[in-house]
Amino acid sequence: MPKLKIDLEVNNRKISKETDAHKRLLDFLRDDLNLTGAKEGCGAGECGTCSVFVDGKLVKSCLMPVAKASGAKIETIEGLADPGSLTPMQKAFHKTGASQCGYCIPGMVMAATSALRENPSADIEEIKERLGGNICRCTGYTKIFEAVEIAKAVIAGDMPEEALDEEPVGESYIGHNVRRLDAPSKVSGRLRYAADIKMHDMLQMQVLRSPHPHANIVSIDTSEAEAMDGVVCVITSDDVPAETDGFGVFVHDQPIMARGKVRHVGEAIAAVAAEDLVSARRALSKIKVEYEELPGVYDPEEAMKAGAAVVHDYAADNIVKHIPVRKGDVASGFASADIVLEDDFSTQQVEHAYLEPEAGIAYVDPDDVIVVMSPSQNITHHRHMLAHILGQPINKVRFIMSPVGGGFGGKEDMIYQGMLALMAMKTNRPVQLNFTREESIIASAKRHPSRVHYKMGLKWNGEITAIQFSMISDGGAYGMSSEGVMRKAAILSCGPYEVHNLSVDTTAVYTNNTPSGAFRTFGGMQAQFATESMMDMAAEALEMDPFEIRRINMMKVGSKTHTQHKLTAASLDACLDAAETDSRWEKGTPNVRGSYRSDLGGDDTRAPCTLGARFMDRKTSQDERVV
Amino acid sequence: MERKLRGRGMAASWYGIARTATIDRAGAWAELDDGGTAKIVTGVTEIGEGILTLLCQVAADELGIKPSEVTIGDNDTARSPEAAHAGATRQTYMLGNSVHLAAQEAKKHLFEELADHWEVELDTLQSFDGEVWANGTNLRITMEDAVAICKARGVVPVGSASFTAHGTGLDPVDGSGSPWQTYVFGTQVAEVEIDTYTGEIQVLGIWAVHDVGRAINPRGVEGQIEGGVVQGLGQALMEDYETVNGHTTTHGFAKYILPTSLDIPQINCTLVEDKDPLSPLGAKGIGEPSLVPTAPAIMNAIYDAIGVRMKSLPATPEKILKALKEKTPGREQYVQNARAQRAQAHRSI
Repeated sequence: MPKLKIDLEVNNRKISKETDAHKRLLDFLRDDLNLTGAKEGCGAGECGTCSVFVDGKLVKSCLMPVAKASGAKIETIEGLADPGSLTPMQKAFHKTGASQCGYCIPGMVMAATSALRENPSADIEEIKERLGGNICRCTGYTKIFEAVEIAKAVIAGDMPEEALDEEPVGESYIGHNVRRLDAPSKVSGRLRYAADIKMHDMLQMQVLRSPHPHANIVSIDTSEAEAMDGVVCVITSDDVPAETDGFGVFVHDQPIMARGKVRHVGEAIAAVAAEDLVSARRALSKIKVEYEELPGVYDPEEAMKAGAAVVHDYAADNIVKHIPVRKGDVASGFASADIVLEDDFSTQQVEHAYLEPEAGIAYVDPDDVIVVMSPSQNITHHRHMLAHILGQPINKVRFIMSPVGGGFGGKEDMIYQGMLALMAMKTNRPVQLNFTREESIIASAKRHPSRVHYKMGLKWNGEITAIQFSMISDGGAYGMSSEGVMRKAAILSCGPYEVHNLSVDTTAVYTNNTPSGAFRTFGGMQAQFATESMMDMAAEALEMDPFEIRRINMMKVGSKTHTQHKLTAASLDACLDAAETDSRWEKGTPNVRGSYRSDLGGDDTRAPCTLGARFMDRKTSQDERVV
Repeated sequence: MERKLRGRGMAASWYGIARTATIDRAGAWAELDDGGTAKIVTGVTEIGEGILTLLCQVAADELGIKPSEVTIGDNDTARSPEAAHAGATRQTYMLGNSVHLAAQEAKKHLFEELADHWEVELDTLQSFDGEVWANGTNLRITMEDAVAICKARGVVPVGSASFTAHGTGLDPVDGSGSPWQTYVFGTQVAEVEIDTYTGEIQVLGIWAVHDVGRAINPRGVEGQIEGGVVQGLGQALMEDYETVNGHTTTHGFAKYILPTSLDIPQINCTLVEDKDPLSPLGAKGIGEPSLVPTAPAIMNAIYDAIGVRMKSLPATPEKILKALKEKTPGREQYVQNARAQRAQAHRSI
């Protein structure tokens, strides 16, 4: 690989180093200087996790070739404060709880630091604009804004430094705002996620992925890749015991690597381990795979029709799971209704977009225990599945969860740990796999999209007499968590209301789309989006206040849920009351009264964003000065 | 019509706590250690929600030391007892109670030794924030000394516990069952502004009210609500993973649009604390429930502002403009029908 001599200054130290010419500043900092506070979240300048200062300006280091940094002064998160201390900004992030998973936080702290360096008296609108290039998926940004405002006040001397300290404890640590114990390591960039960890003699792994949504694999030829310089090992499904290959949360339909056929674009076909990342990537292009493309199925309703392409042989109708819930007598419920509303709702497939792409390391320890370190949300179950596939006793497979840079359910389904473990066993060396963002997006499961057909019967007084609810979800190519998602959607379907007559069906269907899996609410939001829309539509039809119609139907102590579980506690009445009071809700029918309702605006809302308007204002005031 | 229109909407929600339609369990070990510190060991997996801090609080409160004096051994299947997964809004409930019970047992061993040493009744002993004392006496020492006394008597104060949440499977025919032992409820109100020229929607305010049983770290709970609300907002208005014949067209964050700092409403959180009667801590959970009502509250607010009902998420500017264009003047047909029906019903009485 062509080399390059780089002279620059990093965190006030002069560095003179030879490095690979293809590297970006981010690679140089992370790989050559072991400064891993800057993270690679997207590699495309869109997320800001790699933010550093270059000659005092905030720069996304994934967009800067290292050659361009020659002669520059670089400041990274590691250089903001002396070891063992934190800047006021970092302390403010600690104080407010502005870090959750922490993966975006080094970049966010850099952007926030930059905002106040550029303008120490920046108002909240300007602060928000200056943080606009940094994505956070956990916090909802609110605690971050609060932190920047506190730091601003402390730096300006408008607030004492003690404002950054923890609140004194009262009579109990329960109910106390103890500061997050892991925050100092996150706001300082010290915490090492899986991709930040290096082990001696470690190999880099890369994965060949399917370009086709549905195809038979006729042959895989890895010989040329295996013969390449630097390549140590190539694995395919031939290296996995066929009798035990297959895992999943509810149905074991997923092989570690595609076995005989691919079912979605991005499915793993083969993996290469090499001495370095570039060699591993190059070797992927030398693996020859012959495919026989098959007709695919991309719509869940089409997939259930006779003659549709079959994704898994065991499920000729392509149905992953159907969950029925029945209570009372729906026909008589509708017969006794004064009004029946019927409509359709749909929700989209959603990406988890945790800022940390999947990553992991596997090695075999001196006691022959296969160890996998990865940001897995379910080390217990992953251990079970992998031990079964590898034919190992449970105690010979060890899962360690590395710090998780956001999960939201997306790191609950096991998709790559099997390949890592196998490679470590084959090579007897530590192996690391770090996904790119694009790889993460095509290979990881999504939130189930949904199509709901809804029928609700009500009395004129607002009482629900019957509900018929039917939901179809695209589960994609593998079962993953689909069964559980359908179950939870069905249980929660008709919302927090006591409905005496209901008929609920939820069905997940195989297609050749990206798989759907676990995602925060596990089907609950899709179902309740439909229900809560219907409740407002019913309120309008009955000319009732939306809080009122909900109170009439809400579950109370003693109510029977949709699955006929008698509740011994229920708090919806308290929630409705508090929401109505806190929001200063003006009672009324939800009949498009926005233009004349009197409860809009106020201190508990924000001003609308008028992006760039402050530059216009500045220009205007300058023009006025000229005049 | 004015260019920018505002409206408000609300939605209620419910959710179950811990694994669904099955029994859930989690284990923990506790030890009161030298220096009046403590070790808690459990397979808990922190994914950013703050569970480790919460468990330190729970252990510290039960043992009578400071949270910063608790060390957690976590996330390792070979070195810690089973705690199962980070999901299903289960970790506060399952691990919180498990750690609470394990710490209680460790403290019991310490107190037994100390009561004997001091010759006082066991139930007079209390501890908080690093001190141990016997009520009704002048006896008061540091936890460091208390542990030393206990160990000098030959006892290492350790405890272990398993906590169970009883859920049942669903009947395969009618779905009946008790899938969780505890439920939470919530309500959110949204205020939106819509630019009718561009279709752009801004959420200006969210009032989020959630029952969490008992807020162990109120700021942490707010953080979960704010994060959930913003994910809900993303799904409501912009996020859309698209595929064409199985191939994604949203490969990265340039195409897959996420909420940024400029999209964030003022989020006003209110915590309802309806203590769970079935567990010692009384806490429930908030991770997932916070997201559930956001999207419908926003859609109901959009309707309030411009009179179009968005039934297909996300409500992108393109969909809003299309809906506005296709909207027939006046109220929706079903509302008119309902009104006519109701009038008819009244006439026939």
